[in-house]
Amino acid sequence: MNMQSVLSSLEKTNLRYSMFNDFLKNGEQGNSKFLFSAKDNLTSKDFETCSGSRILEGYHPVFDATAIAKMREAGGKLIGKTNMDEFGFGTFSTNSGFGIPRNPFDLERSCGGSSGGSACAAAVLEDHVSLGVSTGGSICCPASFCGVYGIAPTYGRVSRYGLIDYGNSLDKVGLLSAKASDLSKYLPIISGIDEKDPTSCVQPKLDLKKEKIRNIAIPKEAIDGLSKDVMTAFQSSIDTLKGMDIDVKFIEMPALKYAMPAYYVLATSEASTNLARYVGMRYGHQDGDLSLKFDDYFTYFRSKYFGDEAKRRILLGTYTRMAGFRDRYYAKALNVRMYVINQYKQIFNEYDAVLTPTMPFVSPKFEDISKMTPVEAYKADYLTVPANLAGTPHLSVPCGYDGNGMPIGMQFVTDHWKEDLLLTMANEWDHTFDMKRAEVSL
Amino acid sequence: MRSVGLIMDREIIERVARAAHIALTEEELAKYSQDLTDILDYFKVLDEAPDFKGSGVNPVEIADILREDEPRMDIAPDDLLRDMNTYDNYVRGPRLS
Amino acid sequence: MKIGLEIHVQLPTRSKMFCSCPTTDADAPNTHVCPTCLGMPGSKPVLNKKVLEYGIKLAKMLGCTIADTTWFSRKTYFYPDMSKSVQITQYDNPIGYGGMYYLNGRTPIRITRIHLEEDPGKTKRVGELSSLIDYNRSGIPLAEIVTEPDLKTPAEAREFLGQLIQDIRHIIDLPGDGERSIRCDCNISMGIERCEVKNVTGLKNVERALTFEMVRQTKILKAGGKIDRETRRFDEERGVTISVRKKEFEADYGYIDEPDLGIYHVKELANSIKIKESPLNRSVRLSKEYGLDEKTAKQLIATSMELTDLFEEVAKATDVQTAKTWIAGVVSANWKAFECRCSEHLEQDSTRNGILEIICKYKAGEITDTECSLEIKAYMTGKDPESVQTESSDLDSIIGEFLIANPEIIEDYRKNDKAINKVIGYVMKRAGGTYSSTDVVCAAKKLLQEKI
Repeated sequence: MNMQSVLSSLEKTNLRYSMFNDFLKNGEQGNSKFLFSAKDNLTSKDFETCSGSRILEGYHPVFDATAIAKMREAGGKLIGKTNMDEFGFGTFSTNSGFGIPRNPFDLERSCGGSSGGSACAAAVLEDHVSLGVSTGGSICCPASFCGVYGIAPTYGRVSRYGLIDYGNSLDKVGLLSAKASDLSKYLPIISGIDEKDPTSCVQPKLDLKKEKIRNIAIPKEAIDGLSKDVMTAFQSSIDTLKGMDIDVKFIEMPALKYAMPAYYVLATSEASTNLARYVGMRYGHQDGDLSLKFDDYFTYFRSKYFGDEAKRRILLGTYTRMAGFRDRYYAKALNVRMYVINQYKQIFNEYDAVLTPTMPFVSPKFEDISKMTPVEAYKADYLTVPANLAGTPHLSVPCGYDGNGMPIGMQFVTDHWKEDLLLTMANEWDHTFDMKRAEVSL
Repeated sequence: MRSVGLIMDREIIERVARAAHIALTEEELAKYSQDLTDILDYFKVLDEAPDFKGSGVNPVEIADILREDEPRMDIAPDDLLRDMNTYDNYVRGPRLS
Repeated sequence: MKIGLEIHVQLPTRSKMFCSCPTTDADAPNTHVCPTCLGMPGSKPVLNKKVLEYGIKLAKMLGCTIADTTWFSRKTYFYPDMSKSVQITQYDNPIGYGGMYYLNGRTPIRITRIHLEEDPGKTKRVGELSSLIDYNRSGIPLAEIVTEPDLKTPAEAREFLGQLIQDIRHIIDLPGDGERSIRCDCNISMGIERCEVKNVTGLKNVERALTFEMVRQTKILKAGGKIDRETRRFDEERGVTISVRKKEFEADYGYIDEPDLGIYHVKELANSIKIKESPLNRSVRLSKEYGLDEKTAKQLIATSMELTDLFEEVAKATDVQTAKTWIAGVVSANWKAFECRCSEHLEQDSTRNGILEIICKYKAGEITDTECSLEIKAYMTGKDPESVQTESSDLDSIIGEFLIANPEIIEDYRKNDKAINKVIGYVMKRAGGTYSSTDVVCAAKKLLQEKI
């Protein structure tokens, strides 16, 4: 491992892969113990933080996100803020206001989203860990597309202080790395109660007893609609798991079909309130004509600087919580979330984990992505959304490659606060699976 | 597949856009109306979901997290105002009426 | 006529509602601010415990049911002073609901609900160029009390508000200048449609705004017109209400639950909080328990709660008439001086006991009523008994001479106690400055009572 060489070639690397929004140029290793990057929706004092949105251009936070502060305290050096879909709105990182990160296995394909830049950095940079954020699958999806490990812990496990909100009841800070062991190394560092974020304050201590997953449930509903390559890789992985002395059973999980719409209603309802603060005052662009009446001034900024998907989700979320529609959508979605959680709990009474592929297909080409309708794009998340809606921890591990060498991932979900099972699984899987790294040329 | 059903009412999408403070061109209005129609059509499955007893604001129960009433300032106000458009220490904003 | 009020009370916490910024007056705009109250991306709210406690106290005072579980909501609207364009308030499960409050201890006014929310910043209008915002107020905790439309006249609304403020001030120790920190939205309807006058500050203005609306709406109805349901604002200088353009308040708030805070189980906290007796309830009780007339009861309470405590102590140790004579008389007259002299020790019974002992000596016949009066005054003012005696005999002789010269005043006084004003006016004119007005009133009262 050579930190200095990573730092010296960062500019060149980024030119090829566009994984960073802002990053360290000509950085010195100093006495840092390791290098890390962080998704651009985590605030940091030393880099511009835009959450992938042009409306935040020029925002230099005066405080570090807790997760970043903890990584620094542990001796880490933050080398850059990774590119992402605007405010996390996307599955392919193509909705960024600042360019599109490129998949290290095929530059014409997506890194996945919305933590696409983090997955790319984890796949490309030597010995690198990246802080990602997941709302509906934004860690596992890019981990799967870039062939690395990714973990999204239980909701509330890692402080969200300094996280620029997308959906506050869904957002989770987690990790991406090409090394499975990094997950058990860094998750304990970023976890823990933080009095600055009430939602982090109810957690039990992260258990590292190295408990193992002994039996796994696979919901039949999840197997519908998989591409052939994903199906093949998934089936052979099931065999591998059985060979590891793990019991695997197919079950029914009828609540799954409600998870997607419930998720999108809650996520966009919350997002549309979070994004209300961006009005061309206080931070980001503030260069408008102040003699306009406030309604017109605010509208001018929001229309000019929000991207297409951001506008779509703001409109959707404003609608789903509006008087007259609120009960049918927002209130119903809250109720459905409890139903989904309950169904997970019932499964976890009998099984240690729920397993599915992470994504139904390998990373698509950019030209195919541009042809997708919004609903088609949303549907791509149907495997990652349920665990995110339920706030249950989940892990994506690489589990195969298609004919073009594109990576395929599978996702384990465990009960609330049971990250220990996932960490053990990641390490064991790493011993069994023959992982391929992308060839990096600059 | 695009929905062929009723495209979202123009009045509603205009009300939504006004509430959200986003100006839409005719073209955008047509596009987002269609998109929202498709998406809401897809959401219809929610109507079939059973009514589950119990509700909650968060996926894990976050309860009774409180702070003592002790004044404290951690960040110098000057640093906070550094990048803001200010006048005489006031934050500048648009006209009120 | 139906009137309902929505009353906003700033709660006297030391730090803000969701961040630790101080709530004291700042030297300059935007100096008591932090990422949270400025709504900076990445900041999070954390609830101040004291806000829940104050909310519970007020809910109890208003006879509200206190929710077992309460939580907060987001109300989204766009205005430059609202830093997140979202106000954290309560919507679905407020801290208290369904209360009852008795105006003058008699007229029931239903309380719809009481909820907690944060105050926005302050805007400074600077005309056509721009606005200027000070976020020091952003995040100050508020309680909003909503009444049913049970008030019948503008005067009654004013009386209600005055009484409510006095009670609130006592229950949560609101600073004395608190009236300006209480803002009111007034709903008034003469028939079917109602109008809302937003953001009226101060008792007098509430009555003025409502009276203006009453007259305006009556005129329209008499002329066969129709009242538009609308929002208006009150122009303090001109004393008129003005229609606010509809769009300005026609917001789609789109309430959702606030996920950054979670929920609060307040049952135990509510059970553990005992509130002090409110001034109103106390005055009602004094009438019931001691047969004290309403006017005297209110006067005692308005002067001081400790004075009222002393009344009860004396009434128990002696009898109600003795207590009334002395406490409402010479003790009340010298209370201010007494407060100044021993403000630190006033709550201590031992300090008050001195007065009780003197009155007991009188009751036991050990001292005369003149001696008792002098001793009390000397004790309360800290002056030596001789100078008190000289002062008071001088004052007594001035009044005595005046009454001898004008015997008709005594006759007048039998019919109307306002006749005393002639005596007071004379003394103040002749020896103004030498005696405090309370001393003069007290002495005049005593002498007149003796004569009739």
